Amino acid sequence: MADVPQTGDANSHTAALVIEFKNVGKTYKSLLGNSVKAVEEFSLTAVEGEILGIAGPNGAGKTTLIAMMLGYLRPTTGTVEINGMHARQYVERNGIGYLSELIAINPKWRAETALVRFATLAGIAPSEIRTRVDYVVDLLGLAEHRTKKVKALSKGNLQRLGLAQALLRDEQILVLDEPTHGLDPVWTQRFRDIVEDLRRPDRTILIASHNLDELQRLADRVVIIDRGRLQRVVSTGYENAAPVEGTRYRLTLASGHDLIRTVFPQAEDAGRGEYDVTVHGLAELNAALADLIGRGALVASVVPERSVLEQQFREAVGESQ
Amino acid sequence: MSRAASLARYSLWQFRDFALERGLPILIISFLWGYALIAPIRGALGSQMDSVLASPIWPLVLQGASTLVTLSVLIALNGMVSSDRKLGYYRFLFSKPVNPVLYYAQAFFVGLIGVVLSMLLLSGLVHTILPIFSIVNFLLYTALIYVAMGGIGFFVSVATRFDWVSLAAVWLGSRILRSLYGAKGDWRSKAVELLPPVHKLDEVANSLIGTGTAHATDVLWLLGYGALFFVLGLVLLRWGSLAE
Repeated sequence: MADVPQTGDANSHTAALVIEFKNVGKTYKSLLGNSVKAVEEFSLTAVEGEILGIAGPNGAGKTTLIAMMLGYLRPTTGTVEINGMHARQYVERNGIGYLSELIAINPKWRAETALVRFATLAGIAPSEIRTRVDYVVDLLGLAEHRTKKVKALSKGNLQRLGLAQALLRDEQILVLDEPTHGLDPVWTQRFRDIVEDLRRPDRTILIASHNLDELQRLADRVVIIDRGRLQRVVSTGYENAAPVEGTRYRLTLASGHDLIRTVFPQAEDAGRGEYDVTVHGLAELNAALADLIGRGALVASVVPERSVLEQQFREAVGESQ
Repeated sequence: MSRAASLARYSLWQFRDFALERGLPILIISFLWGYALIAPIRGALGSQMDSVLASPIWPLVLQGASTLVTLSVLIALNGMVSSDRKLGYYRFLFSKPVNPVLYYAQAFFVGLIGVVLSMLLLSGLVHTILPIFSIVNFLLYTALIYVAMGGIGFFVSVATRFDWVSLAAVWLGSRILRSLYGAKGDWRSKAVELLPPVHKLDEVANSLIGTGTAHATDVLWLLGYGALFFVLGLVLLRWGSLAE
C-alpha cells in the first residue's frame, strides 16, 4: 500500500476527471449562533473507472460530503463539481445512482411501485420501465417482496430495495453510503459481486463505509477522513505496497508445528494450531513462509491481525485526535 | 425520454398520492361537516327551501362553505415540501434527474386540481339539496383560496418544518392583528396591511360563493399575495438546501 498526496488527487493521468471537491468547507450554524465545522478545506478528485472508498469514524463528515456532492447541501466555502458542472446542476441533468445511509422511502408504497415511481422520475422510457424494474428485482433478490409495502420489509430487504432504486438506470456515477448496512453475510458477499460487475472504465463509484475490509476488497483508493478533514488517501493495491513495520499475522498450520519456532523464533502459540508472528514487510513474510513450507510444514492460512487499511485508518484517526 | 416528460408522467403518481393521503380525508371531513351544516337547515326550513336565500341561515351556509375550503387547502398543502425533507424522502427523489423546483411546482398544481375536484363532489351534493348553491361560484372561490392561502402555505412548507402550525398561526395572527390595529390610522395600521389579506376573505366568500361576483381589487390582492409567496417559495427551494 502506498500513501498518495494529501490533496486526494486521483493517482491517474489518463482517466478523465469526474468528481472534484475544491477546498470545500461546511459549517453548520445554530439559531443561537453556535457553529460546528462539519467539513474543512476538503479537496479530492475521483476519475473515470475508479472505485473510491470513503472511510471515517462516526461524525467524521462522510454523509455531509455526499450531501454536498448531490447538491442537497451548499458548501460554506469551496465548490463541488461533477464533469465540470456544479454538482446540483449535474444531478438535475444526468442523475446519480445513490444509496443513502438512511433508506427513506414512503412506507405506504409497495416495493415494486416504489421502483416504478423512481424509474419514471429517472427518465426511463415507459416501455422499458417494466424490464428495468424486473432486472433490479431479480438482481437484488426482491421477487418475493415486490408486492409488500415498504414498511413491511426487513432491514436487509429495505437495504436491497434502496440499492435496487440506485441501479435502475445505467448511471455514470454511483454513490453508495454504508451499502452493506443490515445485509446478511450472503447478501454482503452478493453486494461485493454486484459492485465488481458494476466496475466499468467510464463509471465512477464512491463507497462510504465503516467496513474497512469491504473497502479494502472493493475500492482502488480509500480516503480516510476525520473531524471533517481529509487525513489520508490510501491506495489499496498490494502491488505497490510499501513495507509495513511490525505487522502481526495469524498463521494456521495443518502440520509441521515443531518447525514454527525454527523459522519464527518469536512466534506465540495461540492454540488450535495457530501462531501469532510479527514480520517487517511482505518480503520478510514471504521468505519466512517459503522457508517454513520448504522444511515440510503445511500452511493452512495466513491472516493479518489488522488489514493494512485498518492500520492506516488507526494511524490517521489517531493522529487527528 | 426528456426530463420534462418524465416529470409530467410522474404527476399521475402525485395525483394518486393526493387522492389517497389528502383527497380522502378532505372528502370525509367535508361530508361530515356539510351534513352537520345542511341537515339542521333542511329541518328548519322543511319544504320552504327556496326561501333559504332570504333567511338568516344563508350567511351561515356561506361561512361554513368558506371555512371548509380553508380547511381543505390546509390539508392539501400540509407538509408538501417539509415532509419530504423531514422524512428524508428527498434523497432518492432528487438523486434522479429532477429539478426540485419543478417537482414541487407540479405538486402544487396537482393539489389545486385535487382540491377543486374534491370541492366539486361536495358542492354537487350540496347543490342537490340546496339548488340555489352554485357549484361554479364555489369552485371559483376554492381556486382563489387555494392560490391565496396555498401560496403562503407553500412558502411556509419550504421555509419551515412546522408548516401546518405556522400557516395556521400566520392566518389567525393576521386576522387578530388586523382587527386590533387595522383601523388605528397610525404606523401599525400601515404595517398590518403587509400581512396576508385574510380580512378580505369573508367579504369575498360571501359575494363570490353567493353571487359569483367580487371586487376585482380584492380578488387580485388575494391572488397576488398568494402568487408572490408561491414564487418566493420556489426561489427559496432553488437557493436553499434540501437537506436539513
